[in-house]
Amino acid sequence: MSKSYKKLFAAPLAALVLSSFVMAPTAEARGGGMGGGHAARAGGGERQIDNSRRDVRTNNVRSTSVTNVNRNVNVNRNVNVDVDRHGGCCGGWDNGYYHPVATAAAVTATAVVTAAVVGSIVRTIPANCVPVNYGGIIYQQCGTTWYQPQGGQYIVINPPY
Amino acid sequence: MTLTKPALALIALALTAPALQAQTGQPVSAGKAAVVAVDPTAMQALKEMGNELQALKRFKVATELTGERVLADGQKLQHSASAVVYADRPNKMRARMISARNERELVYDGTTVTLYAPAQKSYSTTTFSGTLDELVNRLEQRYGIDVPLSDLFSWGTPLAPLDKIESAMNAGQDFIGDDLCDHYAFRQGNIDWQVWISVGPKKLPRKLVITNRADEARPQSISLIDWQLKPNFTASTFKLTPPKGSTAVELRVLDQK
Repeated sequence: MSKSYKKLFAAPLAALVLSSFVMAPTAEARGGGMGGGHAARAGGGERQIDNSRRDVRTNNVRSTSVTNVNRNVNVNRNVNVDVDRHGGCCGGWDNGYYHPVATAAAVTATAVVTAAVVGSIVRTIPANCVPVNYGGIIYQQCGTTWYQPQGGQYIVINPPY
Repeated sequence: MTLTKPALALIALALTAPALQAQTGQPVSAGKAAVVAVDPTAMQALKEMGNELQALKRFKVATELTGERVLADGQKLQHSASAVVYADRPNKMRARMISARNERELVYDGTTVTLYAPAQKSYSTTTFSGTLDELVNRLEQRYGIDVPLSDLFSWGTPLAPLDKIESAMNAGQDFIGDDLCDHYAFRQGNIDWQVWISVGPKKLPRKLVITNRADEARPQSISLIDWQLKPNFTASTFKLTPPKGSTAVELRVLDQK
């Protein structure tokens, strides 16, 4: 393949990457702790999680561990019931997982960008989005489509409520 | 050597006795070794830990957590998270939570609860007045927000009812870091849990393991707990002013369908 072709290809790609950052001011960025000397994560620096190569199967979470003993006792419910909250998930403070995405299997890893298919990953979200804090997680509701931030990108999810 | 009839009968009894015992599963002697589902000494240890926790006025506690999630086919994935909680009873708290996907801060100054997500530069607030135990319960019940190590605020209060425990046992001793700990195991409803309580003047939990039996894959969380009982709190410890350019985000009440 010729050098010029590579260049031709690289320039728009770089532009796309750059523009996606500009267009996504709310994308996750590490650092910037605030107040009271509570610095950001030890080791500091702008470090971003990159989940772009993550297998879609990892989004299909059926249950999780629980992080406390007494919540389950008091209200006499278990984590499965929590999952049933409109497909909303489990609410542990440690949430290292994403919303259950029932149709994730139908989405291939390369199905990025436009389609608002549940389980798909996008770099940017539309302009009409409204953030909402639900269960301690900030989602973006954009019309009927819901996004959950994921390491500088967004995953399309089932509505959390 | 000839045996008398009574002696033979005695031997026969001795030979059959173990078989009988095996059949019924009854212990030979019902002494101290007898198995009781809820060992009262384990419950006593839990009570003492609860009292100790409730008596702590100011503390800083850090935790490293390993959790698990179960995929559709039962395969499990592990994740890590960490948190630091600053508490000043009766009504001040700060918690910083860090996981792969999320970094959040929660501050309660006695009148307002502020949740801040630095990565997204957004914050939510709600008013509240009450104790830390009440706060933790309220955030969970109303907003579905889980405070790290929330059990620390429940144990020793009616929020952690001891009569729900179906099984309690002493599992011996263990070291957590440099601390010698008593290890206890409990079972209640769909969860099995274990706690390691430091031996010595301060009986505080150093490790907590919770096994979720609601899923046959039994996802488990492991939390190591580090205590600092003489923390240096300043005026800003329980204040959180979102930086310029932050967005206020609605804190939605949990959908109770």
